[in-house]
Amino acid sequence: MMRLAARDRPLALLILALAAIGLLVLAGPVLIVLLTSFTTSQALRFPPPGLTLRWYAELFDATRSAQIHRAALNSLAVAACTAAIATALATAAALAISRSRATWARFAEGAFLAPLVLPGIAYGLATLMFFSWLRLPPSFLLLVAGHAIIATPFALRTVGASAAGLDPALLESSASLGASPWRTFRRVILPLILPGVAAGGFLSFVSSLDNVPVSLFLSSAGTDMLPIRLWGMMESALDVRVAAASGVLVAVAFLLLVVMDRAVGLVRRMAG
Amino acid sequence: MGEGAWKLAVPLGLAQFSFFLAPLLLLAATSFATDENFSQFSVQAWLDVLGDSFHLGAVLNTLRLGALAVLATMLLAVPLALLHMVAGPGLKKIILLAAVLPLLTSVVVRTFAWIVILGREGVINTALLSTGIVSSPVALLQTEPGLILALTQIEMPLMLLPLIAALARIDPSLLDASSALGASLFRTLRKVVLPLALPGLLAGATLVFASAATAFISQSVIGGGRLAYLPALVWQQAMVVFNWPLAAAMALTLMGSVLAVAAALSALARGAQA
Amino acid sequence: MTDLSRRTVLGATLGLAGAALLPGRPARAAGSMTAAVYPGGWDEALRAVLSPALKQAHGVDVAYEPLFAVDQIAKARAARGTAPFDVFVLDPGPRVSGIDLGLFEPFDPARLPNRDKLPAGYADTVGAGVAAQVVGIAYNPKKLAKPAGWRDLFKPEYASRLGLTGFGTTFGTISLIEMAKVFGGSESDVEPLFVELRKILPQVAAVAQPAAMAGLFQQGQIDVMYTNTYTVTLLKSRGVDIDFAVPETGAAAFGTTMHIAKGSKNIDAAYQYIDTMISTPVQAALSQAPYFFVPVNTGVTPGADVPVKSLDELKNFVSHDWSKINPLRARWIDRFNREMAK
Repeated sequence: MMRLAARDRPLALLILALAAIGLLVLAGPVLIVLLTSFTTSQALRFPPPGLTLRWYAELFDATRSAQIHRAALNSLAVAACTAAIATALATAAALAISRSRATWARFAEGAFLAPLVLPGIAYGLATLMFFSWLRLPPSFLLLVAGHAIIATPFALRTVGASAAGLDPALLESSASLGASPWRTFRRVILPLILPGVAAGGFLSFVSSLDNVPVSLFLSSAGTDMLPIRLWGMMESALDVRVAAASGVLVAVAFLLLVVMDRAVGLVRRMAG
Repeated sequence: MGEGAWKLAVPLGLAQFSFFLAPLLLLAATSFATDENFSQFSVQAWLDVLGDSFHLGAVLNTLRLGALAVLATMLLAVPLALLHMVAGPGLKKIILLAAVLPLLTSVVVRTFAWIVILGREGVINTALLSTGIVSSPVALLQTEPGLILALTQIEMPLMLLPLIAALARIDPSLLDASSALGASLFRTLRKVVLPLALPGLLAGATLVFASAATAFISQSVIGGGRLAYLPALVWQQAMVVFNWPLAAAMALTLMGSVLAVAAALSALARGAQA
Repeated sequence: MTDLSRRTVLGATLGLAGAALLPGRPARAAGSMTAAVYPGGWDEALRAVLSPALKQAHGVDVAYEPLFAVDQIAKARAARGTAPFDVFVLDPGPRVSGIDLGLFEPFDPARLPNRDKLPAGYADTVGAGVAAQVVGIAYNPKKLAKPAGWRDLFKPEYASRLGLTGFGTTFGTISLIEMAKVFGGSESDVEPLFVELRKILPQVAAVAQPAAMAGLFQQGQIDVMYTNTYTVTLLKSRGVDIDFAVPETGAAAFGTTMHIAKGSKNIDAAYQYIDTMISTPVQAALSQAPYFFVPVNTGVTPGADVPVKSLDELKNFVSHDWSKINPLRARWIDRFNREMAK
């Protein structure tokens, strides 16, 4: 930590105070959801009158929550495919855009962000209209394609921010040393932009996992999606399992973060 | 790489062409028809959007909401990212986990959490009442400030993650050097950190702006029926009224105006790098 | 557009990627079908009660697609009139939209062996009624005295605790029409309602999406709202402080109907599905906890917790002509948006 002169203290304190508020704002609603998931009441309620693990037991009950499990598996499969496709497409495009100062690159950058700003419901509607016109009914692949289109801008932005800082000299020296483009990418570029790629993959994954509007139109009886199921459970009955599902997600993500932290550390070691 | 770099953008271009642009063109065509079967050409939908003060008001409200969400997320994300930059490994992990937490609570249950927090008998009002700061409950739920607070949490990861990534590339010794040379903290932040953080900041601003402006569920559930935003109107026209030309025209208006702002931010980012 | 040019467009746009997407509607095994179902309580109830009964009686497997009524219509319409499922389940408003848009196969009540169990008029040439819904006032008995009728909602003590929702849903539309009637309006004239709403609007506790109502009620943001008995019974069974009040002008009732989707390839199974839905054992099971449906089968006595004691009672409830309401609804929705906006 840097040493602070007396005149810098007020600013440092202000930064710390705002950061503390930031942490509170970020974590507060999640803590409320977590606490609610342990409620002894029959319906979502805060503050909970008592604490129990019952809703987690119900959520994991293979018969009573069979449909939730199926929907969760569908959603995870779609999210994984979405993240892989969106990140790959976005990484390639971000490298192209960041290396060019030409007009097309600026145009492409704007155009590639467009899916982000079309309301999801309109995109879902338009996509279903278009593919019905081509006589393609909703399917798993169409669902993934729809989700990937919505997720790509997130990945493009995060990878782009990382790629913007790449030193062109570094790439040229790698090429002049006879490295193939793939090798340059693998050994030089990827390690440098990895935080951006990982962030992009993560954002794509969660944006797909939580997508309601596109799934509403492109999912079918065979691809029942989790958020839509949870929405129904929440709206009509304030089903506490909805909160428990969030609790599970937070726990899984926490584990994932720890594992990824190890893995990225490992990658760094392998690259170095 | 080198000259052929543009080829790397082709796969995404193709994907967006077939799965985004084509449906979008169909949507645009729909907006100029009397119904979705294109029975007749009509500009009625566009007149209804652009020639109507209520709908134009909703456009402006939506853009304003996006802008305020950007400012609010920046206010909290910048200090958090700075703290992350200088923090030890333990605190770094806590901040990172907090940064992704909002993404992990499904939009469905999140709406409930905000009713709990902002409600008349909610967490904030209970705290204010018990400390005697106010004597009767403050209206927060279904107000613009309440909605912005909720969006700040929901959209913060989109600002915080690019910012943390951008700041991660700053060499801490640079900061020490700056302060050793007698620069104040403020000057160091402005002259050393800000230029390097700018791409991340603008990337975050674009994402937050677009996401907050189109966050239909949060807007309608937390904002309520008395605040008119375009995404809810699009939904209503598309799904309840079945006036698809009007829904299409509204969606394209929203898209156009948000895209214009995003393009301006992007141009700023280019300018900042140059 | 002809098939040829459609294929050309397809080839040009999608290239090879399209080939993977091409295999059309999945071939269905004989004796299987897909039905739309409202998400949440209906979804759980039909899976638990109707599916096994259908399998047992006819050997038919049913897959469900959870969609609200308006979403079913939107989806069928976006798919150029061919719904991706075989059976719709709808409220009266979307039902009329579906008829106008030609989304249903002609319906022959004679193909329902159980049709005699339905009251007259419950099965017609477009579909069959499978459940009834009763709409009235829901209030928190711990915080408010029981309201006598719609007019009470406009008194300060209720208005300040009231959660308003617009013409977007069937129950919302019906309730607002009933309020309009109290102030001199009618099924086709809701103007008097808007006059009264304007007076109480500054005090109203919330103007919300229907989806948010239960949460707002549970957390005390609102203590009175309009909804159907089904929601009230369900929430009450889950420990929420909620009771149903029949307005002095009478509760309003409407039927939930099932329809066979135009172009369905599983028409036989679809009739068997609807017939099983109205059969006595299924209707009886659905009217018990934890489902609380209001049955339409004359041989079934509603469950103890369902606030309708017999089917005859339903006849006394207020009903509405949706063919009159539907054409006006878009304008009312727009009007509601503008009146509510700050």
